[in-house]
Amino acid sequence: MAGKSGREISAVPEGGLKSKILSWEGALVLILIAVNIFGVIVSPVYNATNVLREMPKYLAEAFMVFGMGYILVLGDIDISVGSIVCLCSTVACFAGNAGAPFPVVMIACIGTGLLCGLLNGFIATRFTELPTMIITLGTQIIFRGIAEVSLGSGGSISMSDTTGLKALATKIGPFPLSFFLIIIGAVIFITILNKTTFGRKMYACGSNQTAAKYAGIEVQKMRLTAFAFMGVQAGICAIFLLSTLFGANTTTGNGFEMEVIAMCVFGGIATTGGKGNLLGGFIAAFIIFCIRIVLGQKNVNTQLVLVIIGLMLILSVVIPAISQAFKKKPKV
Amino acid sequence: MKKKVISLVLSAVMAAGMMAGCGQAQQAAPAADAAAPAADSTEAAAPAADTGSAGGGKTIALVTKSAGNAFMELLANGVKEAVEAAGGTLIVKDPSAATADAQITEISSLISQGVDAIIVSANDENALSAVLNEAKDAGIKVLTADSDVAAADRAVFVNQADVNLIGQTLLDAAYDLAGGSGQYAILSATSQATNQNAWIDAMKAAQEADPKYAELELVEVAYGDDEPQKSTDQTQALLQNYPDLKVIVAPTTVGIAAAAKVLQDQGSSVKLTGLGLPSEMQEYMGTDDAHSCPYMYLWNMIELGNLTGSTAMALANGDITGAAGEKFTAGDLGDYEIVDVNGATQVVLGPPFQFTPENVKEWADKGM
Repeated sequence: MAGKSGREISAVPEGGLKSKILSWEGALVLILIAVNIFGVIVSPVYNATNVLREMPKYLAEAFMVFGMGYILVLGDIDISVGSIVCLCSTVACFAGNAGAPFPVVMIACIGTGLLCGLLNGFIATRFTELPTMIITLGTQIIFRGIAEVSLGSGGSISMSDTTGLKALATKIGPFPLSFFLIIIGAVIFITILNKTTFGRKMYACGSNQTAAKYAGIEVQKMRLTAFAFMGVQAGICAIFLLSTLFGANTTTGNGFEMEVIAMCVFGGIATTGGKGNLLGGFIAAFIIFCIRIVLGQKNVNTQLVLVIIGLMLILSVVIPAISQAFKKKPKV
Repeated sequence: MKKKVISLVLSAVMAAGMMAGCGQAQQAAPAADAAAPAADSTEAAAPAADTGSAGGGKTIALVTKSAGNAFMELLANGVKEAVEAAGGTLIVKDPSAATADAQITEISSLISQGVDAIIVSANDENALSAVLNEAKDAGIKVLTADSDVAAADRAVFVNQADVNLIGQTLLDAAYDLAGGSGQYAILSATSQATNQNAWIDAMKAAQEADPKYAELELVEVAYGDDEPQKSTDQTQALLQNYPDLKVIVAPTTVGIAAAAKVLQDQGSSVKLTGLGLPSEMQEYMGTDDAHSCPYMYLWNMIELGNLTGSTAMALANGDITGAAGEKFTAGDLGDYEIVDVNGATQVVLGPPFQFTPENVKEWADKGM
């Protein structure tokens, strides 16, 4: 099961080039290429320079795909990540404005994320009967609440010393720094999930928690780790978001949780756990970014963009399910 | 299979959630259409974008605060009139949410398109700084209208009315409606909206400056985030928490309309004033007990749009640079001069206009 594609679109046997192309991830790569071809055709300004220039703001969100992927594979969900991003950026701004050097600001930001993640994980593992949707719904309100209270009546804070943040936003050649970090992160976290025992244990927990427990896997420890990891990723997202926003306000990170979950689900990671490949989520993130950039350049109504992404999400889940239902019919 | 069904349902719910977000904005749209029959700005702008800067005319872009905001659509119409009269084309960008974050995405896309000037009604005073400077570096003229950013980030701000004058006017209205003493509350938009905060600060400053207002007590500034539902909830909370409340001042068109409905539906004795659109407030205006709003203020949004469009065209054509003392002609509105207010350059439209039950219909019929 480990590393297996989240959705089957063909009954070819595992292994080999054909199965790779016909896997969901293969389909996603084709969609990504198609989106880019579509972009070049419809928008005269859709080129590498402009896409890479518009990309950093979106890339920050992509960091969270890894954490969310792990949590979804475990069969949990975390809808507090948007609020964690808000709280982390707020803490970072306060730390920065209090005169802390930039490395300390970064540690404060990511540390806050870690603490938030640990809190989520602690509650989730202590009270295992509670659905994580409800737990993180609660912490979502709490984290944003703390940020709102500390931001006070103005509701907005800006970083006075932006040298460190500007360094984060530097480009190596035409590529933003975060682009490389995302690629490195993707390689590391996809390998961990697909190739290591730790990863296989995660799939085992997600498929059947009870069975995993009796197989000697410390299920609760895995869950705590995943939530803490998610928190760290939210902290990293926050620091990179700050490098484009240079400040935080009460609406920072609004709706990020749904976007990140959408990327994972579109990428083939099942919300029920135990299924899906992080690589899919990673590619799906870029598909969504590219679609947004193309439609943005064509001045398509942003509400309509959301509708299009929503439709794609539904289709991505429905089409494989329908094709599978057809395939299974003769056997019944 | 069971798991598959569950995951299917979950994903469907999530997608529905994503759509619900935009459904809200679209629900608000018909109301806006009623307010301004020609409010198809977004659709009308889309084809214009196809031609880009072709044809020699300048391409101006307007980034509004959010979609489904009638106030913003009137502004957009006004800008469109002025820009097209001067031979330019206008692109209107409505961000997906009323956040600086969403505005950055739009501005970033506009830089790619290489427009000549960008007009922003800022959702946050500071957060847009980096992206606006990026636009400036790309040779795009940046100006703000309705809600400003830091002076260094833009060429000029087109101001609807002097901040202190608005603050004083609203405070006097509260003083008058409360009968000189008692509790009043403010229902604002988002807590980081630049213009809202400036007006509220001006009200507070005016109240402290004159002992005449000593008996008047500001109990709370509530934030309805410019969403009808949240504004309604906040109004109900105000009524519940402060039984002695006499007046609500809502310096936002979304807030005042929501509050007016709550007060009138509940038959409350609390009086309402603030900044509102005549077309949305028509049925709530009256001096008797059956109506909640005796009078309110606003500037002519279409004229503000006209002035903004003319300023953008003047900047794009290089007629002005945004420095204090420069003069330009804004179509039928006449001549304007850029003034320096505390180190920030701006063009001021004029004093706020008072709407009373007598004149509200006339203005509503004009499409405001």
